[in-house]
Amino acid sequence: MMKPLTWWWGLVLAFALVGVLRIFLPLPFIIEVLIFSIYTLGCNFLLGRVGFISFGQPAYLAAGAYATAFYLYYFGTNPYVGILMGIAAGVAVSLAVGPLFVRLRSDYFALVNLALAVIVFYLMQKVLAPITHGDNGLWFLTTMSPTPLLDITRPGQFFVFAFVVALALWAFYKYLDDTIFGACCLATKVNEDKLAFLGYSNFSIRLLAFVIANTTTALAGSMYAIYLGFVSPEMTSPARVADPVVVTILGGVGTLYGPIVGSIAYTGMKDLISRLIGNWELFIGFLLVFIMLAGEKGIWGTLEPLLKKAALRIRNRWRNEVSGRR
Amino acid sequence: MIDAQLLASGIIFGLSIGSIFFLMAIGLSLCFGLMRIISLDQLLYYSIGAYLTYSISLATGSVWLGVLAGIVVAGICAFGVERLVFRRIYERELTFSMITSFGILIGGVGVIKFIWGVVPRPVPAPVEAQMSILGTEVPVFRLIVIAIALLVYGAIWVFLNRTIIGKAIRAGIENVQHVEGLGINVSRLFTVTFIIAGSLSGLAGGLHAPLIMVDPQMGLEVLAFVFMVVIIGGLGSIKGTLVSAFIVGQVVSLGSLIYAPLAQMAPFAIMLLILLLKPTGLYGSPLLKR
Repeated sequence: MMKPLTWWWGLVLAFALVGVLRIFLPLPFIIEVLIFSIYTLGCNFLLGRVGFISFGQPAYLAAGAYATAFYLYYFGTNPYVGILMGIAAGVAVSLAVGPLFVRLRSDYFALVNLALAVIVFYLMQKVLAPITHGDNGLWFLTTMSPTPLLDITRPGQFFVFAFVVALALWAFYKYLDDTIFGACCLATKVNEDKLAFLGYSNFSIRLLAFVIANTTTALAGSMYAIYLGFVSPEMTSPARVADPVVVTILGGVGTLYGPIVGSIAYTGMKDLISRLIGNWELFIGFLLVFIMLAGEKGIWGTLEPLLKKAALRIRNRWRNEVSGRR
Repeated sequence: MIDAQLLASGIIFGLSIGSIFFLMAIGLSLCFGLMRIISLDQLLYYSIGAYLTYSISLATGSVWLGVLAGIVVAGICAFGVERLVFRRIYERELTFSMITSFGILIGGVGVIKFIWGVVPRPVPAPVEAQMSILGTEVPVFRLIVIAIALLVYGAIWVFLNRTIIGKAIRAGIENVQHVEGLGINVSRLFTVTFIIAGSLSGLAGGLHAPLIMVDPQMGLEVLAFVFMVVIIGGLGSIKGTLVSAFIVGQVVSLGSLIYAPLAQMAPFAIMLLILLLKPTGLYGSPLLKR
């Protein structure tokens, strides 16, 4: 089952396509897509694998972004250390709230996470304003020192960095799907009583999944911070809490490449529509309703079976030709 | 320490804010109890109510007429949305309705921006008079808001306990299949409940409009508070909603008297505390399954 080549080829193909897109699309767009897809990856894992819908992902995004920003603004200059700080903050925050949250039923989980996002918003905007400079945000683009090997303070090389990180994360999540832990996550979504009967602890599986997913989100946050060189509370404002959920569903819940496809579609539409009518919320909202009514499979969820069928047909024809020639 | 006058006006302020929260949360709570959906689009009907109050009061000069129009239009919108969208998703999972209704909410906010623009607009208070309570001047309009909320609570109580439709709704909250088995048209019951919920949200918007500025994002701004009210009270419980609405109102108002940023933070801390002690909220029944 774990043949290295068949295991890798989908991943390599997908990221080769992203690399090709880099040639045709402007750099800011493709970087935005990469970071956004990492951001959505955590939400997709929670929703598709563990069955938790989280309207609170911006809270963890902000945790990562602000940890990076604090480090770069007040203490150091090395962006790589900043990213490590962001990851550490993600782990710390999700370990702090996780044991409390994962006990809740899925509907309460969604609402409590939403509340957390709003808490973080006000925390950053008002309560911690002396440190975070409130709505003005923290600017540190010029204080970051260039790094050797891969200078991520420059957009061109930041793209390479984001690309490598995304590839590693996707490989990691694909690997998770194949492990016993991945199977347990699915089982806790489908039937928690049976899983408990098999001797696994629902609580610890959910907690681990929660920490993994939210650390991924925090990583996306610190990448945003490095790329933009500034953070403001706007990223966790109540109006943006649904973004990752929308993109997850747009791409296809629980599919591996859904987040990438969803991010490309969402970011592209946002760009196009805001250029045309400046009122893109209207469009996104009704698109969401339409997708939900049309069958909640999302873009990749609909495309994947078709592509697989097509690939199979091509392979069969090729095999027939080879055997016919003999 | 805070002096008595400030405290008195703070409590009145908290009660009036709590009344608004109650009127909106009751819709969410009823929809969850009976239809097992989380209907975030209630916040859209709230904005619609507020904007109609603005437009009609500007055109005719009467805020009360605007509130009335807001209730009616919000009810009509709720009816349309129920027929077009929710009818198809009652059978699906709970989170499904949550995402769909969030889509309706964002889309609706887009429509509002399209019609009225993004600039916040003021609405005049219908009653300018002040009243003296315990030596403090209190706007009469806030007292009227509190009175209306209590009146609505009474009316809902009578409706649920004394009329056939209300009794059917209560029975439906316990077990929908049994109600259907008794030959009651459940689908019509759902529509009626949804329209009531939407109109109450419209009423909340109309009453809140003179107290704040009307702007397109207003639904998203109160979203978190209404959620908190519903969570603290327990999804599906009317009494719990009333109690928790007034708790949250008081915490917001008195918290801001002690330390301004506390107004937004303190309710969340209380919600986390209550969820820690009682994961289903104050009055939520642990038996509720989806």
